Amino acid sequence: MLRLVANRLLGTASGEVLKRPLQVLPRFYHENVIDHYNNPRNVGSFDKNDPNVGTGLVGAPACGDVMKLQIKIDEESGKIVDACFKTFGCGSAIASSSVATEWVKGKSMDEVLTIKNTEIAKHLSLPPVKLHCSMLAEDAIKAAVKDAEAKRAKMKPSPIEKAADV
Amino acid sequence: MYKTKQLWTPLSSVFRGVLPTTCSLASFTANSQFPSLSSHRQSSSRVPPRYGLNFSPYSKFPLLRFCSQSAAKLDSTTKRCWNCVAPGSMPFLYCDSCRSIQPVDLSIDYFQIFGLEKKYEIEVDGLERKYKDWQKKLHPDLVHSKSEKEREYAAEQSARVIDAYRTLRKPLSRAIYILRLEGVDVDEEQTVSDPELLTEIMEIREAVEEAPDSQALNQIQSRMNEKLEETSDSFANAFQKRNFDEAVTCIQKMTYYQRASLCCSCNVIMGSATLRIEEMITTDV
Repeated sequence: MLRLVANRLLGTASGEVLKRPLQVLPRFYHENVIDHYNNPRNVGSFDKNDPNVGTGLVGAPACGDVMKLQIKIDEESGKIVDACFKTFGCGSAIASSSVATEWVKGKSMDEVLTIKNTEIAKHLSLPPVKLHCSMLAEDAIKAAVKDAEAKRAKMKPSPIEKAADV
Repeated sequence: MYKTKQLWTPLSSVFRGVLPTTCSLASFTANSQFPSLSSHRQSSSRVPPRYGLNFSPYSKFPLLRFCSQSAAKLDSTTKRCWNCVAPGSMPFLYCDSCRSIQPVDLSIDYFQIFGLEKKYEIEVDGLERKYKDWQKKLHPDLVHSKSEKEREYAAEQSARVIDAYRTLRKPLSRAIYILRLEGVDVDEEQTVSDPELLTEIMEIREAVEEAPDSQALNQIQSRMNEKLEETSDSFANAFQKRNFDEAVTCIQKMTYYQRASLCCSCNVIMGSATLRIEEMITTDV
């Protein structure tokens, strides 16, 4: 029955026999994805309350994925010295966030805001249906940076206060 | 054979969109047959992409034909079963007069198929019986000896009833569907950043991963089912007040709780599978 429906949907000639109910091109995980899945880098957690830690917590409700990406900022230079992640989701989501933590290390916060989901997706050869995983990773980076900057803004004494100290 | 199919498929898909409401129980007016005419928001979201959102059923005919007179005329001629054309047969998915399966009419929504009011809260218990009743009439196995056309109708019609049954049976899918009927599509790819919800979900997922045994997992799962029920009630509330933003938020929450519940089941299965394997390894054969 399914074959019948599928045939009509695909408009295939009646003589052709579909081996699979739906003509799906075989899709495999790219080796980069498998690598990140088997050897995840930077899995873990930083102390959320550390003033130098920015936490980005994002979710993709459609698949029930949730991604936490944390960055540790060097106080003086403002650069990201360390990053870690925790993701509950599919292999592509895990790999995307893993890649994200690798790419943000050593960069400034402004710089990492330019990381695009398309670059992550390309690196992992994500199929169209998994593109939103890389989008999630990009959003996680942005959220982490936003949190870190908010904390830094709170920490910095205002010019008036500084003058008063002198 | 293929050539006639080529010709047939587009025509039938065209007519499917039009043949309609004679087949439905709802009180559709004649005008609703012609989506391009009616001003009310056609449930274009019900129509799968392959039919196109702006299908003009009579694209083959000059537009001038679209007038109420021809509408009435066509109305009287389309109020028939394709097979027996018994006067006033009014077939709904299936013609009782000649016992033939009708082509799928996408303007009939899932609630109508099950004879339910279009409300979120429904009697789930009655669904199974109605579903089986439908399959007794529509199942492809019953039409082996019939024409290819009718076999195709059977395949598509019963597939649609299966979809309807599956969708209406579970609260989450029902919620998403009923919102879609209102023209509100839950954007699957929109990122959620509500910190409270996400922190909660994160903690739950971590608990699921670190649960020591099935008992702990079952506890988490029953908590999740409770939350699902609560949020389902919130959805019903929001939907009734037509607060669609709130309704979408409820759906997002339900998705997370359902996912967590599923992970519990998976881990229980994995846990017991591991135990079985260990048993097998350690048992002297």
